[in-house]
Amino acid sequence: MDAISAITLKNMLLVAAHNLDQQKDMVNALNVFPVPDGDTGTNMSLTLNSALKELDRGDISKIPRLTSLLARGSLMGARGNSGVILSQFFRGFSDGLADVKNDASGEDVARALVSASKTTYRAVMKPVEGTMLTVARVASEYAQEASEEGANAVDVIRAALKGAQESLANTPNILPVLKEAGVVDAGGQGLVCIFEGFLTGLTTSPEDLEEQLAQPITPALEEAERPRLDQEVMVNKYCTEFIILGDDIDPSYVRGELESQGDSMIVVGDAGVVKVHIHTDHPGQVLQFCSELGNLTEIAIDNMFLQNQDFAQHSENHHLDYGPENAGGSSQTEALGQPKPVGIVAVVAGEGLAEIFRSLGVDHVVTGGQTMNPSTEDLVTAVNSVHAESVIILPNNKNVIFSAQQVKELVEKKVGVVPTRSAPQGISALMYFVADDSLEENVEAMEGSMREVKTGEVTYAVRSTVAGDLQIEERDIIGLAEGKIAVVGASPDLVALDLLRGMIDDQSTVISIYFGAEKTEEEAVELRTILSEEYPDCEIEVYSGGQPLYYYIVSVE
Amino acid sequence: MVGKIHVVTDSGADLSADVRQRLGIHVVPLTVQFGDEIFKDGVEISTAEFYAKLESDDQMPSTCQPSPSDFVAMYERIAQPGDTIISVHLSSKMSGTYQSAVLASTMLDLDVTIKAVDSKAASMGLGLVAVTAAEGVRDGKDLDTILADVQHTIDSLQVYFVVDTLEYLKKNGRIGLASALVGTLLNIKPILTLVDGQVAPFEKIRGKAKALKRIQELVEEFRGKFPDQKIRAALSHAENPAEAVRLAQVLSELLPLDGEVLLGEIGSTIGVHTGPGVVALFLYAV
Repeated sequence: MDAISAITLKNMLLVAAHNLDQQKDMVNALNVFPVPDGDTGTNMSLTLNSALKELDRGDISKIPRLTSLLARGSLMGARGNSGVILSQFFRGFSDGLADVKNDASGEDVARALVSASKTTYRAVMKPVEGTMLTVARVASEYAQEASEEGANAVDVIRAALKGAQESLANTPNILPVLKEAGVVDAGGQGLVCIFEGFLTGLTTSPEDLEEQLAQPITPALEEAERPRLDQEVMVNKYCTEFIILGDDIDPSYVRGELESQGDSMIVVGDAGVVKVHIHTDHPGQVLQFCSELGNLTEIAIDNMFLQNQDFAQHSENHHLDYGPENAGGSSQTEALGQPKPVGIVAVVAGEGLAEIFRSLGVDHVVTGGQTMNPSTEDLVTAVNSVHAESVIILPNNKNVIFSAQQVKELVEKKVGVVPTRSAPQGISALMYFVADDSLEENVEAMEGSMREVKTGEVTYAVRSTVAGDLQIEERDIIGLAEGKIAVVGASPDLVALDLLRGMIDDQSTVISIYFGAEKTEEEAVELRTILSEEYPDCEIEVYSGGQPLYYYIVSVE
Repeated sequence: MVGKIHVVTDSGADLSADVRQRLGIHVVPLTVQFGDEIFKDGVEISTAEFYAKLESDDQMPSTCQPSPSDFVAMYERIAQPGDTIISVHLSSKMSGTYQSAVLASTMLDLDVTIKAVDSKAASMGLGLVAVTAAEGVRDGKDLDTILADVQHTIDSLQVYFVVDTLEYLKKNGRIGLASALVGTLLNIKPILTLVDGQVAPFEKIRGKAKALKRIQELVEEFRGKFPDQKIRAALSHAENPAEAVRLAQVLSELLPLDGEVLLGEIGSTIGVHTGPGVVALFLYAV
């Protein structure tokens, strides 16, 4: 095959997504830190799947249209740092194909891959070599070289894959932490899976592809549905979006009830605010059902069929007001009163910690962090649901900071990100929040506060590794101080004690212990009893964090 | 001949007996009420008795301002015709005591001038205002000068205090602008202040040791704002003498003080609203 058509490109993406999905556990296992945390494979897989879902929403008959949907979808669906970088990769890829009239030649593909690589470098403030950035760059260099020698599209992709594989194998030689942990870069491995998928999609007949993709697939999320192969007939033609405002809504109940009504469904939110997005042939029934759960607002229904036929004409004006005489939405806004100057969105795992964050004035808690990094879209929805002129995001996890920063470009509100890497840092930052101060003043004060608190975490190792002098076996209990493995042991309680002993110094005044879902208050109180004898000058506080996977999150101030 | 000037305050000033006697400051007590039992602050219940009862009694006590006739009785007892009384009282945003004194001044039959003053403060903040007035009298200043000095103290007073719990402030409705701090699940020791006569949050701090450390920094900041002036300082505390003495030591090291640090024990009038453990700092540049 000399050139790539739009349909072929979509099939390449589908196979890539399928391949990544199949291999995501292998990619997850490559995390340098053996902690059960923000998994690269899962994040990249979810990001790509979200991008593919976007392809169902518009015209993909031409390559530039397809890739711009791809870029947009991956941007909204980006989860975790690797997901954000992948979305930037597709953004650059899309830019590189913007002027393609018909099919993409080998030269076009090479140009797109070079553009993709450059965009990923620009997206990170301090590019680190030996990561997926390097893998994408070497792949693009190989592709460029092949194209200059006159290779067709298939051979350009083949060259890119070869470059990616070689570069991946070399990542431990560039980044010492990889070599120490005995792994290759996880994000780079994800990218190799994608290139493998590209080549398979390009070199396999559509019939064989149908068969391959029909294999059972484990969706990464319960609502993550598999995009279908390109299809002629569009069903579920109304893209329906709205927000339910209530007191006691169960999003999973809404999800279950609406599932049979259509596809591309996204239901996110909490008991007070739930955002619903669904493609359905029966928007009336969907609205009828949801109106019984609470007040509906920001209702928008698009006919995607008409959109597809005449996208240009309708794109400017395709949001219908659906409320009775348009009153529903506006009166709701009035009922909420004046927006406050600054609202707060925080990403938190565990109901106990979520309650603590709410009690400190957080308007909207996005569940996630350790088990599941929220997507950029989850954060966008949360920011939009806060009745405030500007919003501060507390990511509370190093793997969410990057997606949080992406939100700035995607919403109308002014957004500030305080780059908190743990729940205790988030709590410390909230101590400095002043409701009447501006967004900028608050962000500055809150950033300053992060230095005042040291965070420790107690969890288990997901694989064997060596960290400095410490030999760690799979399932060992490990204690991390400020993100670095400091203690290894067999019992979470003993590891927590040793960890804290290493963190406390004569300046310390407050020690907080947030016990996780697998721990009891009695066990945590026992830790306090032991510590208060050793450190009589410190105040030691115990709270139920309810967080999964982490037996204890502790902080020292 | 010009009449004498007298200084009256209320039991919310937390002035020690020593200071009151030395400067001749008269105190009208508020009353504190546990259920059906009513006590005059400092007269029928001592500070120690009050905190013991606060601990043992299930009932949440409340306070009641002195009636106008209580003030009339005080004014008639101390003044002769032709005299003037400067009557300085608890912030009108927190208590009706000032209002009661104003009413009393209209009810008086005697030929006595009453200058009722809203201190916009409480505890030793009010105490410092009363002391300013009494020292003016002692030094033979004229009424207008004394009132100007009193106003200067009110306007330039800076207050920081740390409570063990916000519950007492909340239950008695004296939480003011700090209400946003209530209901947090964490053990927060907020540093509170007074803004325009009512309680306002200054900073949220975790842990009392850290809060007291922060107060020390605030003292240094205050010093920086008035490099060429002497500073008047007072401290009050509820059942926390060790911390108050330690902080007084810190103040005398950090500040060019005008006189000694005035120390006061928080009596039942203020204690009802703040609970035990409070430490409060009052500063102004002379």
